[in-house]
Amino acid sequence: MRLTVEDIGKSFPGVTALDGVSFEIRPGEIHALMGENGAGKSTLIKIITGLYRPDRGRLLVDGVPADFHSPRDAIAAGISAVHQERNLIPRFTVGENILLERLPRRHGLVDYGRVHREARRFLDMIDPSIDTRTEVRRLSVAQMQIVEIAKALSLEAGVLLLDEPTASITGHEADALFAVLRRLKAEGKAIVFVSHKLEEVTAISDRVTVLRDGKVAAAGEPIASMSRGRIVSAMIGREERVAEIGERDLRDRTAVLEARGVATALGHRDIGFTLRKGEILGLYGLVGAGRTELARALIGDVRITAGEVRVNGRPVAIASVPEAIRRHRIGYISEDRKAEGLILAHPVRSNVAITVWRRIASALGLVGRGAERRIVEPLVRKLDLKTPSIEQGVGKLSGGNQQKVSIAKWLAAGVEILIIDEPTVGIDIKTKTAIHELIAEITRDGVSVLLISSDMPEMITLADRILVMRDFALVGEIENSRRYEPMSRRIMSFIHQGAEGAAENEPNGPEAAHG
Amino acid sequence: MTATETLNPDPVMTVADANEAPARRGAFLAESGNLIGLAAIVLIFWVVLTSLRPGFISNFNLFTLSRSLAIDIVIGFSTMVVLATGGMNLAIGSIGVCAVMAAGFLMQGLGLPPLVAFAAALALGAALGWLNGFAIVRSGVNSFIITLASASLYLGAMLILSKAVTFNELPAAVADFGKLRFGGFVSPLLIIALAIGAALIVLFRFTALGREILAAGANPRAAELSGVPVGRVVIIAHTLSGALAGAAGLMLVARLGAAMPSIGQDWLLPSFLAPVLGGTLLSGGAVSVIGTMLGALLVTTIRSGLLVMQVGNFWLQLFLGVILLAAVMLDRYRGKVAERRSLGRR
Ligand SMILES: Nc1ncnc2c1ncn2[C@@H]1O[C@H](COP(=O)(O)OP(=O)(O)OP(=O)(O)O)[C@@H](O)[C@H]1O
Ligand SMILES: [Mg+2]
Repeated sequence: MRLTVEDIGKSFPGVTALDGVSFEIRPGEIHALMGENGAGKSTLIKIITGLYRPDRGRLLVDGVPADFHSPRDAIAAGISAVHQERNLIPRFTVGENILLERLPRRHGLVDYGRVHREARRFLDMIDPSIDTRTEVRRLSVAQMQIVEIAKALSLEAGVLLLDEPTASITGHEADALFAVLRRLKAEGKAIVFVSHKLEEVTAISDRVTVLRDGKVAAAGEPIASMSRGRIVSAMIGREERVAEIGERDLRDRTAVLEARGVATALGHRDIGFTLRKGEILGLYGLVGAGRTELARALIGDVRITAGEVRVNGRPVAIASVPEAIRRHRIGYISEDRKAEGLILAHPVRSNVAITVWRRIASALGLVGRGAERRIVEPLVRKLDLKTPSIEQGVGKLSGGNQQKVSIAKWLAAGVEILIIDEPTVGIDIKTKTAIHELIAEITRDGVSVLLISSDMPEMITLADRILVMRDFALVGEIENSRRYEPMSRRIMSFIHQGAEGAAENEPNGPEAAHG
Repeated sequence: MTATETLNPDPVMTVADANEAPARRGAFLAESGNLIGLAAIVLIFWVVLTSLRPGFISNFNLFTLSRSLAIDIVIGFSTMVVLATGGMNLAIGSIGVCAVMAAGFLMQGLGLPPLVAFAAALALGAALGWLNGFAIVRSGVNSFIITLASASLYLGAMLILSKAVTFNELPAAVADFGKLRFGGFVSPLLIIALAIGAALIVLFRFTALGREILAAGANPRAAELSGVPVGRVVIIAHTLSGALAGAAGLMLVARLGAAMPSIGQDWLLPSFLAPVLGGTLLSGGAVSVIGTMLGALLVTTIRSGLLVMQVGNFWLQLFLGVILLAAVMLDRYRGKVAERRSLGRR
C-alpha cells in the first residue's frame, strides 16, 4: 500500500502544528519521521489515522483520495497505528485490549479462549513474558507500550504507523520489535516509525523525513545518504552536542540516602546502597527489574518490610509521599507522566508551581500569580518548552513538552534528593542535552540524584556510579568510567549473569553488547 | 544553557510575556461565555416575569428574593467545595438541619445568646463535615456512599435527640436580623453570602490550600506525588462543606425565626443545580464561584417566579429537574462542539 500526504496544514489555537507538509510512504519500506518536540509528528500521524481533520491538503491511498472521518475509517482502509498516548482500558485484560474492537465470538458470546490465543500470538512477537489475562492497569509503562504495539500488529494492516513505540521499552524488546518490522517490510507493508533515538532510526529505516516547526526539513531522503549530523542539523538547525559532565570525585562526600538490607512488600530483597551528596547514582536494569518499585518504597509509597533507610544519617520511616517531600525533601519524578506526573486539565503554570505553592505562599497562605510566574517562566525558557503560553492546558502540549513540564516542576521544588525515573522519554536530542546539563547543574548545587534510566548512553553520560538491578535485587555496582563500550558491556554482563558471574571478572557473554 | 538560547525559531510557540495573552484570553472567554449565557437566561426570566407580574420587582418581593438567594448560594457553595475534590456531599441537608436544631436548643433550651449558639452550631456543621471527610479518606470508599449513609445517620440522630420538636421561642434578635433590610430590599443574609463567595474566590484562586484542593480533585495521584497531602485536603474540603451547610441552615433560622426539623430536606437538588449550572465540573478540579452564584440566582428566580405566577409548589420540583437536565445536556453539547472544533471536524 502506498500512502501519500499532500500539502497538509493544521492549526490549533495559537499554534501552527503543520504547514504544507507532503509525505509519501511506499510499500516495503520503513520510513522514519523525525523532528523536535512539537514539530508536528504526532499531529501528522493523527491526521493520517483520521483522529484529526486537516485544515487543508489531502490524503491519497494508492493514488486515490481518501477522506477519513474517524480512526475506524483509517483502519478499514488498512492503516493501523500505535499512538504516542496510551489508549488502553486499564480494567480490561491484556487480551481483551489487544482484540478490543473485534473480540472473537461463539454463539454470540465472547470466546475468551480464542481471545487469549490470538492475543498471545502477537504479544509473543515482542515479549512472551506478558500474561494476556493480566489487567492492563497492573502492567508497567513499558509493558503497556508493548501491548499497544501488539494491538497495532494484530490488525495486520498494510500501513503501520508507530509514534515513538520504543520510548519506554528497553533494548531487548526494541530489538524484538525491529525484527518484526523487518519481516513486515519484507512482506511489503509500509511502516512509519517515529523516534528520538537516532541509533534506532539509522539502524532500521530506509528513508527519513524530518519535520521542523510544522514544515518538511528533509523529505524522504534515503537513510544511506543522510549522516547522523545531517539528520540532526535538519531537525535542530545546528550540530548535536553531548552534555559534558566531567570527572567528579565524590568519594568523601557525606551520605544523604542509605539503604541497608531493605526488603519491600513488592518483593525486593536485601537492597543496600549509599547515595552521596551531589552525586548522580544510576539504577540500571531491564524492564520489570523492580527499579520504579524501589523508588516508590523509598518515598513511602510502598511498604518497607525489613532493613533500614537513613536520610542524612538518621534512620527514617517514611509513611507517605507528601511526608517524603515536605519533611525529608525527597522528590520523585514519575515515568508515567500522564497518570502520575501531570494534571492534564490544568495549565502549565499550576503544574509546575504545584511543588512550590507551600513555599511561596505568604503568611496567610496566599499564592500570587506573579510569584508563580517568576518561578515557572525561567524554567519554561531553560527547557525550551513549546507552548503558546504558560496558561495553556498541559494536555494540549506535544508529548515531549509534557515530559518537560513534569521535569520542570521538580527543578523548581528545591528538594535535596531527587529520584528521576526515565527523565528523557520522548524528549528530542536538543532538549535531552539541556536536561542532562540541568541534572548535572542541580547536583553541583548539592542535590543528590538517584537516576533510573533504560537509556544506556544517558546512564553512562550522567551517572557517577551505576547500580544494576535484576529481579528485585541489586546484582552489581560499578564506578562509571564514562567510556561507553566497556561500561555498557560490564552492565549487560551483570544483567545476564547475575551477581555471582560478573562480580569480579571481565565482561563477556554473547548478548553483552546490545542496549 | 546554551542548548536553549541558541535558537528561537518560532516566535509564536516559545513562551514570552507578550504571547501570553491569546491563550489566557481564550480560557477567560470560554469561562465568561458560560457565565454570560447563564446571566442572559436569568435576565430573560426577570424580564418575562416582571412584564407578566409587575409585583415581581416590588421591594417586598425583591427582599424575599434576596433572602432565599442568599441561602441558595450558600447551599450551592457547600456542594461546590466538595465537587472541587471530585467527590460529593449528599449529607448537606442533614448537616444543615443538625446545625439548625443545635442552635435552637442552645438558644431556647439553654438560653445562650444567639451569637454563641450560632458559632457552636457552625462548629457542629464543620465537625459533621469533617467526620464525612475522615470516613471517606480512611475507608477509601466513594464519597457518594459515605455521605449517603451519613445523611441518613445524621438526620436520624437529630430526630431522636430533638424528638422533632420545633424551637419557635428563639430570642427576638434572630428574627429581627432576618427582617433587616438595606436599601429597601437587600437582606444582610445576602451580604453574608456574597462575602462567603468572595472568600471562596480568594481560596480557590490565590491560596495554596485552594489550589491543592483543585489539584487533588483533578488528578489525586499526581497531586500526591507532587507533595499535596491529598487525604488531608479532602478532609478540609468536607469540613468546609459542613460548615457552609451549617451556615445555610442558620440563615434559614434567621429567615424563619424558628429552628425546624424539616429544614434541609429539599436542598439536594438546588445544591447541585447552582454549581453545575455555573460550570463547576462534577469530575473535580475546576470550580466557578461566580457561576455558582448565578446558578443559585436562576434557581431562586424560578422558585419565586412560580410563586408570583401562582403556579403550585408541586411544579417547582419538576421545573428544577428539567432545568438541571437541560443544563447538563447543553454542557455536553458545548463540550462536544469544542472538542470537534479542536479536532478540526466541523
Ligand atoms: N489538541 C491540541 N490542542 C492544541 N495544540 C495542540 C494539540 N495537539 C498538538 N498541539 C500543538 O501542536 C504542535 C505539534 O504537536 P505534535 O504533538 O504533533 O508534536 P510532536 O512532533 O509529536 O512532538 P513530540 O516529539 O513532543 O511528541 C505542538 O506545539 C502542540 O503543542
Ligand atoms: Mg508526538
